[in-house]
Order: sequence, then structure tokens, then C-alpha cells
Amino acid sequence: MSIVALEGIAQRCGDFVALDNVSLHVRKGDLHAVVGENGAGKTTLMRILYGALSPSEGRVIVHGQERHYRSSREAIADRIGMVSQHYAIIPELTCLQNLMLGAEPGAVMNLRQCEDRANELAEQMGFTFDWHSRAESLGPAGAQKLEILKLLWRNAEIMILDEPTAMLSPRDADALFVSLRKLASQGATVILVTHRLPEVTEYCQRVTVLRGGKLIDAKEVRDVTRAQLAELIVGHALTAFEARELPQGETALNVQNLVVRGDRGNDAVKSATFQVRKGELVGLAGVDGNGQKELFHALMGTRGFTGLANLNGEDLSGQTTRERLAAGVRIIAEDRLAEALVEDWSLADNAVLGFQRLPSFRVGVGINEATKADRAQQFIAKFNTKCTSTDQAIGSLSGGNQQRFIAARALGENPSLVLAFQPARGLDIDATRAVYQGLRDACSQGAGALIVSFDLDELLEFCDRILVINGGVVSAPHQKERAEIGQLMVGAI
Amino acid sequence: MGKWGTPMVDMSFITNWLMFAAILGLAALGGMFSERSGIVNIALEGMMLMSACVTALVGGTSGSPIIGLIAGLVSACLLGVAHWALTQFYRLDHIVSGMGINLFAYGATNFIALSFIKPEVPDQFLPIPVYFWCALIALAASWFIFNRMRAGLRLLAIGEDPDKARTTGIEPVQVRLWALVFAGILCGLSGALVVTNSGGFGDNLTAGRGFIALAALILGGWRPVSVAVACLAFAAFEAAQIQFQGSPILGYQLPAAFWKSLPFLITLIALAGLMGRTKAPAGLGKM
Repeated sequence: MSIVALEGIAQRCGDFVALDNVSLHVRKGDLHAVVGENGAGKTTLMRILYGALSPSEGRVIVHGQERHYRSSREAIADRIGMVSQHYAIIPELTCLQNLMLGAEPGAVMNLRQCEDRANELAEQMGFTFDWHSRAESLGPAGAQKLEILKLLWRNAEIMILDEPTAMLSPRDADALFVSLRKLASQGATVILVTHRLPEVTEYCQRVTVLRGGKLIDAKEVRDVTRAQLAELIVGHALTAFEARELPQGETALNVQNLVVRGDRGNDAVKSATFQVRKGELVGLAGVDGNGQKELFHALMGTRGFTGLANLNGEDLSGQTTRERLAAGVRIIAEDRLAEALVEDWSLADNAVLGFQRLPSFRVGVGINEATKADRAQQFIAKFNTKCTSTDQAIGSLSGGNQQRFIAARALGENPSLVLAFQPARGLDIDATRAVYQGLRDACSQGAGALIVSFDLDELLEFCDRILVINGGVVSAPHQKERAEIGQLMVGAI
Repeated sequence: MGKWGTPMVDMSFITNWLMFAAILGLAALGGMFSERSGIVNIALEGMMLMSACVTALVGGTSGSPIIGLIAGLVSACLLGVAHWALTQFYRLDHIVSGMGINLFAYGATNFIALSFIKPEVPDQFLPIPVYFWCALIALAASWFIFNRMRAGLRLLAIGEDPDKARTTGIEPVQVRLWALVFAGILCGLSGALVVTNSGGFGDNLTAGRGFIALAALILGGWRPVSVAVACLAFAAFEAAQIQFQGSPILGYQLPAAFWKSLPFLITLIALAGLMGRTKAPAGLGKM
């Protein structure tokens, strides 16, 4: 007996078909994975179940009864909860305020009672929170935990998690699944939207595969291998990313005893020494918040540093960000919306960001419109950004498509050093490979790449060499090998 | 009598100080409800002015100070609701809408004062201490609403991030309506106090105090108690202005214009010097 049954769901918006005759059956107490590429319709399907969208066709059956949710409020009343990809945590409010928001116990709140209940829920999950500190102090793992407690606070029994591990380190991701299993054993049902197949095969009981808005298959996880699942998702067989000889080009980036001051006045990067050769993809493994951001900002010129950083023999410390951009330093920024894009601007306008001072982009005091249009087309084509035209506001694209666009932009205009912060964030298997292939191609033209990812498996698969950053200290493992790197990441060696 | 012509502190200084603090405080708290909900509000001045005029007119013609005050508050609320409708439904820029309301209030009160307020009808006002109590209750209530009540929490949330608040089932536009009704009531009280203190309505009676209240709101970091402290500080200069106007300082006779501009000068200096230390609601001006 299914606790949730979606039957024959279709979702159309004008000519665009987001979902076409999709069904989903979820058993009570399961961790049920919904997998598929960007645009496969996973999130749309979940938003229908959560009442945020009404389906054009089909039936939504919850707890054995047909439902017609007009808003999420009604779904919440049916004990359905959803954590979306972008956390709904408001940094300026305290953790307790975030927990209660929208589901306060009454018009006047007894904070002591609220805190007691919050502690009870946290204890049940094995979490600890300082309820009166502001939520901005939470890292991604903490925010994720708070989102899960928000579901419990609302008495949710059916929990939808959209890409919950996208921002988490391997360790935090494992801890999350331990928590989810615990919830499932207590009678909750978890529906998990994800790109990461190891999570599906390791932790889930059932999996539903979508592709292009259509239901491809629904299987017991024990009946399917990771490779078969990957094929179902992309619709064709995948070959392993071709390994290659370690490139032996000359040194592109040479960093010696680099110290970068953090926001709290501490040293976020402590005396780092490393090199990146031309042609090389160097992965920087580490848990989020160990100095990766500060290192990138220092190399980009948006944060000061002491020590030595040379790019192709030129001292970076004397160069402004503008000069570094002209010298070919490119960044795929950590925070897409805050650092890489202007949401309300068109794709064409966003294509110019960072390049506006380059001679090829200038005409007199203005922007060269021809170059702008040409580059926008080029960036869209490079990784298949799905959009209607270059005039479309970039904010209206999905996160994955925005990421494709800014990755393509960072590889444009002859880069000499690409700083890539989670370049494949929110991307599916094919797009991830395409982006790394793009990085490799750019590097074979003489650039070096330094790549931060919190997904160690991704770095192991795609990078030539791996460095580890932990507590601001950069170290090099003896071998490109999972166990040693994993230990370096948490400072166990 | 000391060397400065008048004693440093006397009772009239204290009552003036409290008077101006109450005027600024009520308006600033009203502005806080609006801005915490995400609506930029430079219309505090217009709401005060409208309330001052209507309170005087209706109080005088009806002969009942209570009815006068209520009419004043309603008129200020109507302007608040207008600001809400213009910014939320017609998506007008918040500053433009606020400016429009200020200009409307200036023109309308001028017209009302010339056409309807008759000098022979005696004005009727509630005693001033009533307003002092209102200001104190407003301060305590604001603190309680923001720290202990569901409504206050939702208001803070939509002011910081309306989109995220929406995902938790809150309807920002609805919450903002109540926020602006509150803003109207508080600014209305402030305007009524201005006209009560002066004893009758005159053109541009509020004289920019709505903007000083706005400055106090910004300096106070949009938090009730700090805003109250900022209002007390600004009010002290207003009171000093009245105290020292016309009296020589160390033997020099400073022009009256200097004393009149003093509160505004201090506001400017305070804003320039302390701006940036406080953080505005992150969602201010967003839909």
C-alpha cells in the first residue's frame, strides 16, 4: 500500500511539457529516490506533491485519499514537508525563529516552551543547536539539519528533500543519511531527489527514474547496479572519463607561504605552498569552510594576502582584479547568485560580466554589442544551456543551466588560470563530464585549473592531481587515493 | 540665572525634551513597522502632517477631542494603506510613492487648513500626557511584538527575505498591509501630538520631523530600544534649540536660523558618522 501515489501526472505550461504521464508510488517507511538529469521534471513533480503547483492532469493520492492541493499549506496540513535545493533559512533570524517561522505555536509565543520542544526534536535526531544564535553562523550542514528539524516541527511524515547533499561534505552527507534512516525507522517516509548515484544505491530502497519529463522506470534499488542506473538516467551507455598521463608543462601558478586573513581576523589560509602546472587540473579537496573561499578570493584579488603568488612568472600581489582578469585569471564563483550573475540581466549582458574591460568587448566607452551577442551564443552553445534567447533574464533559468553558462564563461577569452569552485554544482552526469572536458581542453591550450569540490569522488575521477585543504593548511597526499585523502580532509594524519 | 542667561536645565527643557522624544519616537516606531516589513517609508512626514491637520479640524468642528484624534489616526492609516497599495499592487518605487504621499499631504492639509479650519471654532485636544503614555506603550508593545509574537516574527522574516518567507506559507503582501496600518496609527499619534503641542494647525506644521524620525530609525538599526534611544538624543537637540534660541552663547548672539537648523545638522552629522554600523532589513524594497 503506497502512502503517496501520483498517477498519470502531466504538467504543461503553454507548449512546454514539463511532465508527461508520470506516476510515482512511494511505500511508507522507505527512502525513495527520484533521479534524473536537469530538466527531467523531478523538482516539478515534487512541487506538485507539495501543493506548490497544480498538475494539468493526473491524480495525487496521499494516505489513500485523492487530494487536490491548492497551496503548500494544505499539503503541510497533510503532513507533507519539503526541503528545497535552496535552503529557506533566513540568516538574520535566530535558529529558533527559523525553526518556528510559518508554524508558530500561537499568536503569542512562550519561548521557553518552544525551546524545550526544539531541544526535544534535536535530541531525537542527535543534533545540537544554540537556538538563540543567528542562523547566519550555520554552515551548510547545520542549515540542512535545521531544515530537517523544521519538517519535524511541522509534524511532517512525508519528507521531500531536493538535492540535500549538494552542499555537504562526504562526512556530513553520510551523517545526513544516518539521520534519514533513523527517521524512516520511526515511521517517516523520505522522498529524495538527487544526482548522486552512490547515495541511491547505498541508502535507498526504491528508485524512480525520470528523463525529459517522462517516467523511464521504477525499480527496487537492490535489483539495479549503479552503472545500469546511470544508463537509465542519460539514456545511453557511459564510458569512463579517460584517464591520462600527468601533464608535465611549466608552472602556471606558483604559490609560496601564502597567508590569507579570514573574516573573523584569523588566518583562513595558513602558509600554503603549491604549484599548478600548465595543462593540469588540480583538485582541492576539503570540507566546506576550510579556507577554500578565502584562497580563491585572494587569487582573484578580492581579498588581500601575504606571501608569494606568481602566475606565469608575474607577481599577482601587485595586480588588481581587473589586471588579473586581463591576464586570464577566471573564476567559477562559489555563490552563483551573489558573485557570478546579475539575475535580472539577460544572458547576453551576463556574458560580458568580468570581460567588460577587455579590448575585444569595448567600443569607445561602450560595450561592443557584436562581441557581446557572439560570446553569449558561444557560452550557451558550449555546455548546452537551455534557454529561449540571449535576451532572456538569466534568473529565469534553472540552477543547472545558470551553472552551465557561467562555467562556459569562465573558460572563454583565453584563460591562463581557472579557479573553479564546485564547477559541476547542480549538474547532471553528462553536463558534469562536459564541464570537466571543457576544463581539460582549456588547460591543454596552456591554462592551469584549481578546482574546489566537496565531492571527493568527482575530484578523484576528473582531476590529474589532488591537494587537500584542512583548517587553512594545504597538503599533498602521497597518492591519488581515497582513504588517505579522506583522512587528510579531517586532519586525521 | 547663570552666566549663559538661563539655567542649563529647567523644567521647560525637560518637558520639551520629552515632547519631542515622544513625537519622534511614535513616528520612528511607525516607520519601523513599515520598514521591517520591507516597505521603505519616507511618507512618515506626510502621515504625521495629515493626522495633525485632521485631528485639529475634526476635533474643533465636532467638539470632541477623542473623535478628532480617531479621525486623525484614520486619515494617517489611509495614507499608509495608499502607500501599501502603490508599492505592492502597482509596484511603484517605494521612494517615489513616499514622496508622492508627502506632497499630497502637504497640498491637501494646506487646502483643508485654508478652506475648512475656522479660527473662531476653538480647537479641542486631548491632554499631552495621554500621548506620553501612548509613546511608552508603543515602545513596549513593539518590543513585545517583535520578540514574542507570531505577527512580529513573520514581519521580521518577510522584511529580511520575502521569497524564503513565502516558502514557509507566509503571504508577505498581507502582512505588509497590517504593518502599514500600524505605521499609520503610530505616525497619526505623532502628528496629533504635534498639533496638540502647538495648539492649532498651521501650514507644514510637522516641519520635517518625519524625516528626523526616519533618521532615528536608521541610526537605531531598526530595533525598538535603540530607535528610542536615538529619538531621545535627537529630541535633546530640538529641546536645546528652543532653550537657547535667542540667548547669547559665551557672549555671542547666534542667529535664530542656526538654532532652528541645529536638529537637522545633528541628524546629518549623526547619519554621516554612524551610517553603515547598523544593518538594514535585507529585503527592504523587495517584493
